[in-house]
Amino acid sequence: MGTLKKQKMVFILTALLVPISLLIAFVIVPGLDLFRISATDWDGLSQSYQFVGFQNYIDMFHNKDLWGSLKNNMVYFVIHLLMIPVELMFAVLLTSKLRAAKFYKTTVFLPYIINGVAISYAFSYFFSPINGAFNAILETMHLSGLIRNWLSDAGIVNYVLAFVSLWRFSGYHVVLFMAALQSIPQDIHEAALVDGANPLQIFKYIQVPSIMLMVDFILFDNIRGALQVFDIPFVITNGGPGYASSTFTLYTIKTAFTFSKFGLAATMAVAIMFMIILIFLIQNILIHKVVLREGKKR
Amino acid sequence: MRKNVTVQLIKQVFCIAMVAIVAAPIILTLFAAFKDRADMVNTSPLLLPPLSRITWENFRTVLTNKYLLLGFKNTGIILGISLVFNVLFGTITAYIIERFQFPFKKIIVGLFFFGMLIPTFVTEIARFKLISGLGLYNTLRAPILIYIASDLMQLYIYRQFISTISASLDEAAIIDGCSYYGVFGRIIFPLLAPATATVCIIKSITIINDMYIPYLYMPKSKLRTLTTFLMNYANAQQGSWQTLAAGIIIIMIPTILLYLFFQKYILAGVVSGAVKE
Repeated sequence: MGTLKKQKMVFILTALLVPISLLIAFVIVPGLDLFRISATDWDGLSQSYQFVGFQNYIDMFHNKDLWGSLKNNMVYFVIHLLMIPVELMFAVLLTSKLRAAKFYKTTVFLPYIINGVAISYAFSYFFSPINGAFNAILETMHLSGLIRNWLSDAGIVNYVLAFVSLWRFSGYHVVLFMAALQSIPQDIHEAALVDGANPLQIFKYIQVPSIMLMVDFILFDNIRGALQVFDIPFVITNGGPGYASSTFTLYTIKTAFTFSKFGLAATMAVAIMFMIILIFLIQNILIHKVVLREGKKR
Repeated sequence: MRKNVTVQLIKQVFCIAMVAIVAAPIILTLFAAFKDRADMVNTSPLLLPPLSRITWENFRTVLTNKYLLLGFKNTGIILGISLVFNVLFGTITAYIIERFQFPFKKIIVGLFFFGMLIPTFVTEIARFKLISGLGLYNTLRAPILIYIASDLMQLYIYRQFISTISASLDEAAIIDGCSYYGVFGRIIFPLLAPATATVCIIKSITIINDMYIPYLYMPKSKLRTLTTFLMNYANAQQGSWQTLAAGIIIIMIPTILLYLFFQKYILAGVVSGAVKE
């Protein structure tokens, strides 16, 4: 028995050695190192740097462009949030009896799979001011009055980019909702039908309550995703014009790699990390309360 | 009965609208890729050029670009090596966490969870120093190491899968004198093949499509990947949408094909990777 136990420990130790070392070296240590860098004025290149205490944190709070960028993140968040009921509707639709459902299921998830950079360029073309496809669509619909400079008008560029983000990620949520809906035991559904429930009642009393955990996940994913929006604005507008379509992450990355202010950028990274962890905790508490309340009802 | 037909009709209208919205930007880009410079100006962006004027020239230009070939090669190398280690480390870590009790287990599981919570984009500010300090800047090893060490979604897929394999299987093998390595290598690993297929396909799509890591760590032109090739190509093609459009379409093709062939695995993996525990 003793040798078996020893064998087991040796196996565990040798097998986990490399994966855990990699995790610590390339994920955990850099993650924690952000805190240290955030207290310095490091430029990303020099061997030497000064510790500046909380100066970066003070600078961050006074940085108008950064907070303007965070406001842009809100646009992505709200627009995706508003779409969640529509995504749920599509999930219900695609799991119901429907001709060509398989084809639609394939299509709805396609944007999530395609190369994000290619998509971003395709949309740059779609919204381009000269000979752009979207303006041509407006013209054929006799809506030429609506034609704008979609990607260089500071007032609307964010909504345009958020639309691209919707185009790309909505299918992901539909698929997750579909998976949750399909995991509802069939007999509950049938029992409700026998009892004479109509589709709306089934949706309200059976489907929605059984997918609450998925709703929870999608809400969190939406917040996390909205806070980290990066590649769509980076490729399409590079945050411009000015900082009109910049996002928190984009601004952070620029601060580090374009303006060589790694210390300040690390401070912003710490801020994003805190926001995500905070939201994760708040949501966990909320959901557990909701779940607990459900438990009391029964 | 009539009501049923109407409902079906409304459903179809919604779905067809969805298909149109998904397809429009891709199809219109494809149209542009078939036009020459003059037709870009003269024909509507919503239409193909006249059939006799359809040109393959744009595709030819992109396909003969030597950096595209390099992009395929580099993406292939990064993908192959990353997948091997992701599968190896993913299976063994998930197996040990699922099956064994050992000291510091909670801490180790916590570390993996923390690793998933740290936002990937901004970590690079600290990771950049480490990678260049190790002399890995502008080498293929940089993205490979990062892909292996971070993005831990395979752990969840493997853990879910292992929890469905009966533990009495391992015990029987141990009693028969099999070593723990043997149990893992000869019993567990082969049984995980379907999960491995899922992990490989999902990781492939993530890695092929990733722009950020290669952009940051491998600016050297010889180290272009498919995605950074497209970015450089776009910069060089300023204003000539027809050639860029051909580039866009070509870069989209590998992952679209993967998706169409392996849909079942991709959807299963995305769902189990998302819904942890």
